[in-house]
Amino acid sequence: MNETRSLSDQDLQTMLEALPLRRLHSLAKGRIPRHFRMGKRRLIVSLLGLQGEVRQYLAAEVTRHMAEQRTAIDAQQISRKRSLPAPATARHKIKSPSTATTARSGTPPTTIEAVLEGIGVPPPTEFRPDPWQLEAVSCLSTSDVIVSAPTGSGKTYVAVEAAKRAIQQDQTVIYTSPLKALSNTKYMEFSQIFGADRVGILTGDRRDNAQAPMLIMTTEILRNLLYDAASGEIDVRLNTLGLVILDESQYLADPERGVVWEETIIFCPAQARLLLLSASIGNPDEIAAWLRSIRPVPCHLIHHRERSVPLRACYLHPNGNLTPLFRTRDLVQGRGYAFHPETLKLFAEFEARTFGRSKR
Amino acid sequence: MPPAIHPVDLVQVLRHKQLTPAIVFLTSRRACDEAIEAFERRAPVIAPERTEAIRTFLADLSKQFPSIAQHPLLPTVQHFAVAAHHAGHLPSWKIAVEELMRKGYLDAVFATTTLAAGVDFPARTVVITQSSVRKTRDFTDLTIGEIQQLAGRGGRRGKDLVGFVVVTPSPYIDLDVIAKGLTGYPEPIDSQFVVSYPMVLNLLKAYPLDQIEGILAKSFAQFQLNQRAAVHQEHLDAIHVKLAAYGTRECADWITQWQLFDLAKKRTSQRRLPRQPDSPEVAARLPFLTPGRVVKTSKGRAIVLRHYASRGKRQPMVSLFLEKGAIIECPVSHVSQIYDKIVDIEPAPHFPWCTPHSFERLVEQWEHLTARLQTLPIVIDQEATEDQELVNTLAEDFPCPTCPSRQACRRDHPAALRLRQKAQQLTKTVQALKTGLWHRFQERADILHHLGYLTPTFQLTAEGEWARLIRIDHSLLISELIRMGAFDAIEPALLAAVLASIAHDDDRPGSYLRMSPGLATMMHRVRAVAESLEPYEEPPLLRSDVAALTERWVGMPELTWPQLIRMTAMAEGDVYRLLARTLEYLSQIHTLKATHPSLADTAKIAIATMQRDVLKELP
Ligand SMILES: Nc1ncnc2c1ncn2[C@@H]1O[C@H](COP(=O)(O)OP(=O)(O)O)[C@@H](O)[C@H]1O
Repeated sequence: MNETRSLSDQDLQTMLEALPLRRLHSLAKGRIPRHFRMGKRRLIVSLLGLQGEVRQYLAAEVTRHMAEQRTAIDAQQISRKRSLPAPATARHKIKSPSTATTARSGTPPTTIEAVLEGIGVPPPTEFRPDPWQLEAVSCLSTSDVIVSAPTGSGKTYVAVEAAKRAIQQDQTVIYTSPLKALSNTKYMEFSQIFGADRVGILTGDRRDNAQAPMLIMTTEILRNLLYDAASGEIDVRLNTLGLVILDESQYLADPERGVVWEETIIFCPAQARLLLLSASIGNPDEIAAWLRSIRPVPCHLIHHRERSVPLRACYLHPNGNLTPLFRTRDLVQGRGYAFHPETLKLFAEFEARTFGRSKR
Repeated sequence: MPPAIHPVDLVQVLRHKQLTPAIVFLTSRRACDEAIEAFERRAPVIAPERTEAIRTFLADLSKQFPSIAQHPLLPTVQHFAVAAHHAGHLPSWKIAVEELMRKGYLDAVFATTTLAAGVDFPARTVVITQSSVRKTRDFTDLTIGEIQQLAGRGGRRGKDLVGFVVVTPSPYIDLDVIAKGLTGYPEPIDSQFVVSYPMVLNLLKAYPLDQIEGILAKSFAQFQLNQRAAVHQEHLDAIHVKLAAYGTRECADWITQWQLFDLAKKRTSQRRLPRQPDSPEVAARLPFLTPGRVVKTSKGRAIVLRHYASRGKRQPMVSLFLEKGAIIECPVSHVSQIYDKIVDIEPAPHFPWCTPHSFERLVEQWEHLTARLQTLPIVIDQEATEDQELVNTLAEDFPCPTCPSRQACRRDHPAALRLRQKAQQLTKTVQALKTGLWHRFQERADILHHLGYLTPTFQLTAEGEWARLIRIDHSLLISELIRMGAFDAIEPALLAAVLASIAHDDDRPGSYLRMSPGLATMMHRVRAVAESLEPYEEPPLLRSDVAALTERWVGMPELTWPQLIRMTAMAEGDVYRLLARTLEYLSQIHTLKATHPSLADTAKIAIATMQRDVLKELP
């Protein structure tokens, strides 16, 4: 503490000036209101204006950060000037985004050519369902099913196949989506697949083809139907309800509307199977455990993590220069990341140019 | 903040590197519109055949959705193969853009991140230009789930061998947030269960009271609360084991005896007036206000540094750490919520009430608090008794001097007391977690009883029987208006207008349309009722301009959509959403046929009049 207490305004200012803007914002968070609106210069002035305890802790943090930077640079054997404050030319060397999350620095970084390699359209192939898709459909005969899979993996296939089976057994299928717009899109899509006479849509003020075996509605409408059924005003068709598909189930976490998904699941008739389709979420196992604790049938969880089409990431500098975002070519989940050195350099330049200008 | 690269250059690079079609996510509708406008000043670069293909496709689609034919963006889309897609557009336009993307006619779509969930089309490339989004007032970092929702649109199955995320900077972008989002696992989701009035009425209609607690227990909310309770219960069990280690003493409750004795000694020595007993609300919260506890106050979120009794005011106080690093002192009664979250803190006896190191960590931990914290439902015990009298008598008449356990008790009691206080706190926490939802339900039911929708035994009254059919936000306000006859013999246009002002919860600026005198009087009354209900239900915005706009649409059946849009500064998409939501509210009123036939009829007429032009395009 003694060391930082004696840190003069001048020293602190020099240190702050040597920091990348991002770092300044993170220093300002919680200390300076509305800091995110400020440019570099105003931020530094505001930070220097802090008094008392807060200023002490700020000084301590900055000193600690500078020391860390120094050791990091030492470790990388970049024999730059080690003395603080960092001279203006060395500023860009201070990495603003972190680099050290993974230890993959041993292998040479990928190149933009490698990242862009293989762009194109795959040859047309016969449609063959993925194992997880088949698993989901077949499990529905004995249990509820939750599918958590990345966007674009093919959850619609599961919904369509499951619906086909249920309709064959003269059951009613209800498909819900969170948004009226999505309901409309699905209505058009399913009408093409099943035939217009076999698909109906229910909205607050309209019932189109409400006698069809497959009904599309928003989750709110289904919740209302279930409440009416529970209080004795039974819509006859709920007796034949065999499958309820809740698309975009991650809406369970929506602050305003999430409760509707819970009500729907709680009151879903015992004889109907539930199929929850969800984008990637962190705890599908917890949702499955919940369903198991309240539903009369088992619940099978399909947690499909891989993307069907590999994804790669690039950084596009405002001058049109395209570089790889990461050291490695393919995006992998759960193993940390390291930025591509070229991207780091360009990004530091961007920050310096965007925020440093007013200073000089 | 728009991206630093010019939109035209951006699309050009993407084309050049064969990274099209792409979805470019921008912060605001305005940024999307400006990006499109930037193209209008350039010379077209796409082949005439493509322009023709898009033209034909859109002409076809506009047979189904006539509103597309007049869209101002049409020429840009045809000549530059780029489009904007955000909530300011009509659903028909969004469908058109989505279809064009699916067919591969477009090179780039500029969309807002807020709409990511509603964007149902993929592309080869997704361009991310920001790491945070505006939520209410402040900017919040995108979550991992949100970033994956965006990035997930990149790479179309069957159409692309590889998909791409291109990050291009705008001011304040934080590359680490994006990198974490791309490579991390998405956050777990938490229940957002709330007990609403319609839920209470509908549950009580369908189930006997003694089954309700069991039904609420089936919620995901309770499932998660139980899991949290189990963690606390484990701690509690461990403490009980430690307490048991003190063995049995002469008197069963030796800890209390010594606690009271200590208290009494302190009071007499300080010769202070006895404190006023704390209110039950304060008393219930006190045990939770330990250092590190995160709470909500009128100044927003705060972390408790210590709690103490103020000398002057003789009421319990807390020292709080606030967002801006400020430290304030305030009475416990100002704490409105207790969160189920305790951050690490090392208390210290002097300002800032924790060690410097700990203070530093506090700033850091503050950053890592999630946007939504779970609140602890606090059970308020109205009969909390004050043991003041007991203290006074005990001080004079302390039984221990002759007790054989005295030495042991004197030695052990401070540690044992600490353990027991911890145990009491944990017991309360567990109890609160287990019964919170049910208490909430009872609170709501009490209010409904007070207002006359439930009998004292929580059966539905005649009013409750129909009110349960109103299952929308602000249901209480709407039922109360119906009950007091505010809607008797009302014009369809007025009914729609009032419901519109109740339904619309967006505060984007609108217009200054004049309401009819009838509507103005009506709105005055609605405001008064909404204010009187404020303790029970948050009042809606009740904007006069949206009421006036809706009144025109329903009251003037010859008015066309473009004419209506010219009357307001609201975006088309917003007006559409306003009217669509009003339709939903009207259809709820329409379900009251049995009890309110003439009102239901009025609602039906309003619905029929509203559904024209673009409001008829989609089911
Ligand atoms: N097994 C499969 N093989 C090839 N393509 C598939 C397969 N399953 C689905 N698709 C295609 O993948 C695309 C995305 O599917 P979709 O169901 O919309 O994804 P999700 O609902 O998971 O976001 C669709 O074009 C679909 O035809």
